Amino acid sequence: MKLSDGTKGSKYRIDKILLDASVTRRFYALGMTQNTELAVLNIKKSGPAIIKVRGTRFAVGRKFCEGIYVRGNGE
Amino acid sequence: MSDISIAFTGNPNCGKTTLFNAYTGADLKVANWPGVTVEKVEGRIRLGDVRCRLVDLPGIYSLSSYTMEERVSREYILSGEAEVIINVTDASNLKRNLYLTLQLIELGKPMVLALNMMDILKKRNVVLDIDRLSGILGIPVVAVSAKMQTGLRQLMEKAVYEKTHFSYSTGMKYSAKIEEKITALTSMLRKKYPKMENYRWHAIKLLEHDGEICRKYAPLLGGIAEESCEAEIINEKYDFIEKILDIVLINTGKSSTFTDKADKIFTHNIWGIPIFLLIMSVVFFLTFTVGDFIKVFFEGWLESFSHAAEGLLRSLDAGEMITSLVVDGIIAGVGGILTFLPNIFILFLMLAFLEDSGYMSRAAYVMDTVMGRLGLSGRAFIPMLLGFGCSVPAIMASRTLEDKADRLKTIFMIPFMSCSAKLPVYVMLSQMFFSKYAALAAYSMYIIGFFTAILALLAVSRITGQKSLNGLLIELPEYKLPSLRTVSIYVKEKVKDYLAKAGTTIFAASVVLWFILNFGKNGLVNDISESFGAVAGRQLVPIMTPTGLGFWQIIVALIAGLAAKEVVVSSMSVLYGIGNISSQEGITFLAHTLNNSGFSALNAYSMMLFCLLYIPCIASIAAIKKETGSWIYTLSAIVMQLGLAWCVSTLFYQIGRMIL
Repeated sequence: MKLSDGTKGSKYRIDKILLDASVTRRFYALGMTQNTELAVLNIKKSGPAIIKVRGTRFAVGRKFCEGIYVRGNGE
Repeated sequence: MSDISIAFTGNPNCGKTTLFNAYTGADLKVANWPGVTVEKVEGRIRLGDVRCRLVDLPGIYSLSSYTMEERVSREYILSGEAEVIINVTDASNLKRNLYLTLQLIELGKPMVLALNMMDILKKRNVVLDIDRLSGILGIPVVAVSAKMQTGLRQLMEKAVYEKTHFSYSTGMKYSAKIEEKITALTSMLRKKYPKMENYRWHAIKLLEHDGEICRKYAPLLGGIAEESCEAEIINEKYDFIEKILDIVLINTGKSSTFTDKADKIFTHNIWGIPIFLLIMSVVFFLTFTVGDFIKVFFEGWLESFSHAAEGLLRSLDAGEMITSLVVDGIIAGVGGILTFLPNIFILFLMLAFLEDSGYMSRAAYVMDTVMGRLGLSGRAFIPMLLGFGCSVPAIMASRTLEDKADRLKTIFMIPFMSCSAKLPVYVMLSQMFFSKYAALAAYSMYIIGFFTAILALLAVSRITGQKSLNGLLIELPEYKLPSLRTVSIYVKEKVKDYLAKAGTTIFAASVVLWFILNFGKNGLVNDISESFGAVAGRQLVPIMTPTGLGFWQIIVALIAGLAAKEVVVSSMSVLYGIGNISSQEGITFLAHTLNNSGFSALNAYSMMLFCLLYIPCIASIAAIKKETGSWIYTLSAIVMQLGLAWCVSTLFYQIGRMIL
C-alpha cells in the first residue's frame, strides 16, 4: 500500500520508493530505505503526513506519500 | 604563527551556527527550523599561536546534494579548502546525525566530531560513552555546549592537533559483497588514476552512482559499478549506526512527549490553520498595541530633541536654511522613523520567538495543502512568513526550495507580504484616518497582502500551467523554549539594521528630498509647489488620479519610498514640514492639511494598499536580481507589482467612491 493510504498511529515498513531519482536519494539519505520502520503520527485526508523515522519527525507532502510504498509492520 | 582553516558541517538545525557564534563572537542568526544558514560564513579566531579561519556551512543531511544550499556545503567540503572538518552533531538525534559523520569519515580528511545538545540527553537520563564512540569511529569526539560555553577550547585544540597528527581511517566496513566491489574498483582506479586522493571514497561514490563522480570517471561505470548499490550502502550505514548506538548509549530514554503533545494541537487536521491564523493575529495585535503604547514615550523625546535642536541652531545664528534643513529635513525625516522603533522591536521579538520555538516547520506542514493547490510546496511558506520581517532574508531563504520554478514563484510572492518597513506607513495613515479602528485597518493590510500573494501565485500557476515538481519534505524539530540569547541576537540585529537604515538611507533620502522640495529652476523657492519635486510629482498626477493618489506630494513620497518603504513616512514629514509626524499634534495637523486638500480616509486606505503592493525597496530588488540572476525576471516582477498596485488601488478607490 501507499503511505498516503496509511492511518494515523500505525507503524509500517518501507517496501519501495517510486519517486524521481533525486527525491528518492533524499529519502534514502534521511534513512528511509527499504525495510525501515516508520510511524505515521498524523495524516491529512488528501494532504501531507507527519512520520517518525529513526527518531526524527518529518512532514512529507501528499505527492511524496503517494510514491512511498509500505507494508504493515508484521507483514 | 601558523594558519589553519576549519569548516563546521553537520545536519540542518544541529547548532552549527550557535557554535560558530560562540567562537567568533559573531551574531549570525540562528533559529529552530532547518535551513536558516543558506550561505557559508567565515570568521577568524586565535588559539595561542594558531590563527584559525572558521567557516560555517549550511546544514546538509548527506554528501549527495539536493538543494542549492546543500550544494554550497558539499562543494566546499570536497574542494579541500578546509584542512580540518568539525562535524557538529545533535547528540539527542545521533541516529540520523551519524549518517553524515560516516560519509565524512570516508572522505579521509582530518575531522573531529562535536557532540552538541548533550543537555537534552541528560534531561532524558541517557548516558553517552564518548570514549567508546571515538574508538569505534576512529576519530576524536568532544562534547560541547555552545549554550553553556563548555568544551569549546577542547574542541578547537583537538581540531588544530588533528591537522598535523591525523591518521587515516578507512571508515566502516561494509558487507563482504560491497567490500569486494570496493576493492576491485579501488585497484582499477589506482591503475587508471595514479595521482588520485582517497581511492576508497571514490570507489564508494561510484558504487552509489553519485552524479558528479560518475561524470568524472565515466569509463569505470560499466562492469562492477554497473548497478547502483546506493540503497545497500545507505542501509548498511544505518545498520552500523544502530549497532554503534546500542554500544555507546546507556539507558535509552523516551523521546520528548512534550513535542508529541504540542503537535497534536499545532498540527491538528482541522484546527491547525485557525491556530496558525490566531498566532499571527496575536503577533500583529501586540505589534500595534504594545508598540504604540511605548511609542508615545519616543514621540515625547523626539519633540523635546527637535525643539532643543531648533533653539540651539537659532542661538548659534545658523540661518533659516540650515535650521530648516536640520529640523524640517533631517530630524523630521530620520526622527519620525525612529519613533516607530517600538513597533519594529515587538514585531521582531514575536517573529524570533516563533522561529526559535520550532513552530516554523509546523506552519509549513499546516499550510501544505493550501500551498499545494497553488502549485507550491508548503516549504515555500517559511520564506513567506519571514517576509513579514524583511523581504531580503526571505528572498534568500527561498534557496532552500529544491525546484527552480518553485523558487521563482516564491520570490515573486514575498514582496506582497507586509514587511516591517511598511509598518510605519500603515501605523501613520491608520492613526490619522481610522482613529479607534486604526489597528484593524493596519492589520487588514497583512491579510490583504497575504491573499494577494496567494491569488498572484494562483494566476501565475494557471498561466504557466506549472505545478510544483517537489512536494513537502521537512524535518520537524523538537519544540523548545526560545533561548534568550538567540532571541536577543535576532532582535538586536534587526534593531541595529533599522537604526542603520535610519542613519543612512533615510537620512540621505530626507536630505535629498529637502533639496528637491526647497529648490526650483530659479534657485531657492519660497513656495514648495514651485520646487523640482512638485514639478516632477505633477507630471504623474493624471496617472495616479484614478487611484485616489493624484496629489503631487503623495506621489513624491511614494517615489521616495523606493529607497526604503519607511521613507514614505519621513517624506510626508518633510513634505508637510511636520517636526514629529507620529505625535498626536503631528497627526492632527497632517490629517487636517490632507483633508483640506481633499484627501480622505478613502484616499488613505488606497495609499496603504498602494504601499503594500507596489515595487519593493531597492535592497529587495537587488536581492531578487541576485537570487534569480535575471534582469528580465526582476524587471517583470517590478512591472507586474506596480501594475497590480495601481489596479487594486484604483478598483478600491473607484468602488469606494461609488458607495460613499
